[in-house]
Amino acid sequence: MLYIEQLKVAVGDTLILDGVNLEIQEGEVHVLLGPNGAGKTTLLMAIMGMPGYRIVGGRIFFQGKDITNLDVEERARMGIGMAFQKVPTISGITLRTLGRLVLEKRGLTDALEETASRVNCLYLLDREVGKGFSGGEMKRAELFQLLLQRPLFSMVDEPESGVDLDSIALVGQALRELFERDQVRTKKRSGLIITHTGYILEYLNADRGHVLMNGRIVCSGNPRDLFADIRERGYQECARCER
Amino acid sequence: MCEVRAMKVQEEYLRDLRERAEKALTKKAPLGPDIDLSQFYLCSPRERVEDVREIEDQLKEAALYAGVELEGEKAATYLQVDRSAVYERVQRAFQGKLEIMSSQEALQKYPELFEYWWGLVPVDADKYTAFAELCPTEGYFIRVFAHTKVEIPLQACLLMSERARVQSVHNIVILEEGAEANLITGCASVRGNESGVHIGVSEFYLGDNARLTFTMVHNWGEAFHVRPRTAARLGKNAFFSSTYVLLKPLASIQAFPQVFLEGEGAQATFQNIVFAKGNSYIDLGSTLLLKNRGCRGSSISRVCATDEAQVFARGRLIAYHDEVQAHLECKGMLFSPRAQIVSVPELEVHGAPRARLSHEAAVGPFEEEAVNYLRARGLKREEALSLLTQGFLNLDLPGLPEALRRYIEEIIRVTSRDVL
Ligand SMILES: Nc1ncnc2c1ncn2[C@@H]1O[C@H](COP(=O)(O)OP(=O)(O)OP(=O)(O)O)[C@@H](O)[C@H]1O
Ligand SMILES: [Mg+2]
Repeated sequence: MLYIEQLKVAVGDTLILDGVNLEIQEGEVHVLLGPNGAGKTTLLMAIMGMPGYRIVGGRIFFQGKDITNLDVEERARMGIGMAFQKVPTISGITLRTLGRLVLEKRGLTDALEETASRVNCLYLLDREVGKGFSGGEMKRAELFQLLLQRPLFSMVDEPESGVDLDSIALVGQALRELFERDQVRTKKRSGLIITHTGYILEYLNADRGHVLMNGRIVCSGNPRDLFADIRERGYQECARCER
Repeated sequence: MCEVRAMKVQEEYLRDLRERAEKALTKKAPLGPDIDLSQFYLCSPRERVEDVREIEDQLKEAALYAGVELEGEKAATYLQVDRSAVYERVQRAFQGKLEIMSSQEALQKYPELFEYWWGLVPVDADKYTAFAELCPTEGYFIRVFAHTKVEIPLQACLLMSERARVQSVHNIVILEEGAEANLITGCASVRGNESGVHIGVSEFYLGDNARLTFTMVHNWGEAFHVRPRTAARLGKNAFFSSTYVLLKPLASIQAFPQVFLEGEGAQATFQNIVFAKGNSYIDLGSTLLLKNRGCRGSSISRVCATDEAQVFARGRLIAYHDEVQAHLECKGMLFSPRAQIVSVPELEVHGAPRARLSHEAAVGPFEEEAVNYLRARGLKREEALSLLTQGFLNLDLPGLPEALRRYIEEIIRVTSRDVL
């Protein structure tokens, strides 16, 4: 579904990703680990096609199509979606208004409130998008929009950080839903999730994990094993590890 | 005897007004481009209609674009086309509780009201006020009697249908003690591309505990000049909220309304919502004179400017009493490198060192980060921009009835859709 080859990405004049290779098959969910500042968010932004994240080398394929030069809204229309780590405030526009627009793009009109209630966002619907949202509210509001969007390929940036214990179950449930198939015959959904804690692995069967360091994916494998190793030996060992 | 003297006083007052106006006929306004009024003809009279259904569709449509639904359920309606009041009506339920008619008719019917004419706006302020006195073309008179609360809006609509004309209306609005009303006014040119001048003198008198929300929508053409001259006087605990919406291009508008907060606890709020396009020259502001204990005020503007539009957003707060509080806020968003927004805040304190006046201004481009965020949700760039514009212009309007708020939101939504 997603295939990335030797991807190099610069922000401003700084090269952040220096040759990332990654392949995610239809129906697979991968997790992305790595120390702060490693470039995880940058990778998601580059896959999404966000302006400011300049692709200076390599290529990205989505469903067999080279999307390296497509702009963000084209990628969104092809079925790539993302829950952001940092969310801008959209003054004067309520979450409800934005949610409705996102649903309209799929030709739907209802399901807004029902979806909101599943991620405990009902009480946020009439607030301005992002304005004064707490950390956890921000995460839930992002997942809410992603659920409305129902992308084929969903990227989620640290869904569990800053979320209280009660809400983690909610978030886990929402993620599971995000990767469920609509019908047996429709395409399987896939995704890439950034996580520092691995909590979400309790709710979601992730197929593979990757460690991003120094602008590259230095290690890939079973996500639970990866977490166990990192807990034991830290990221520094990852850089040396030959697995 | 007494009556004779009263008539004499009135005659003298009116003669004096005319004399002052004549002297001011060539006096340029301190702000805004000067208009040579001799280039324009006075507008022509129109026939009256008795039934709203007789109003031409073209006029109804023009009214609608300025936010006035002539056939809608309203407490009272005044429609003026060119120089004539063509339709006036007060809903049966409100007869005897409020009045709506042309201001000339009112002056004839109630000569004792003459003191309200130019009671707040100086007749010799500039050539436009002078012109309005010397060549008046009607305007509306609205009076809501004491303690009458009218929730359903009243509406007044002023239209111009001819080319190269000047319409100079004088409006008087009186809310007696304890009266409450919501007034929607719409001003528009029926044929969008004709040139013209609209001079609108408006004087608002709010008695003690009166409440008025006033909403004005303008929809002129690219060759239209507009010179509103507005002032309001507020009694004790009176509340005046004025919202002005201008989302279509025009040649120029310059207005700097003044509110005299005379009574204790009087409150005034001004909201200007402007989308400046084309070559529009827009100079808008408001002055609040806070004269008594507990007076409060705010003046808020939201301005979007694109193309070659030039906008001045002014605000002036003047405190004459220690226990007053007022705030100015101007937010501007620029869509084009040739557009300009100038924010001009003025705070003045006269012998009231404990008065609290503040201002806040920010002018800049739209947030590219927000645009991209919305695009990642599948919105096209234009859709994202119009949504941001809509959000930016959507003000939380204090004291505005729900229906009015929805109505303004709807105008903004529709305009934002095709702004860019
Ligand atoms: N707009 C920017 N301007 C300058 N530097 C940037 C910008 N965006 C990212 N960077 C830098 O790129 C590097 C990678 O950032 P990124 O946000 O991708 O890290 P991350 O792996 O997601 O980290 P975290 O775990 O803290 O979220 C960091 O050093 C960051 O400071
Ligand atoms: Mg990050």
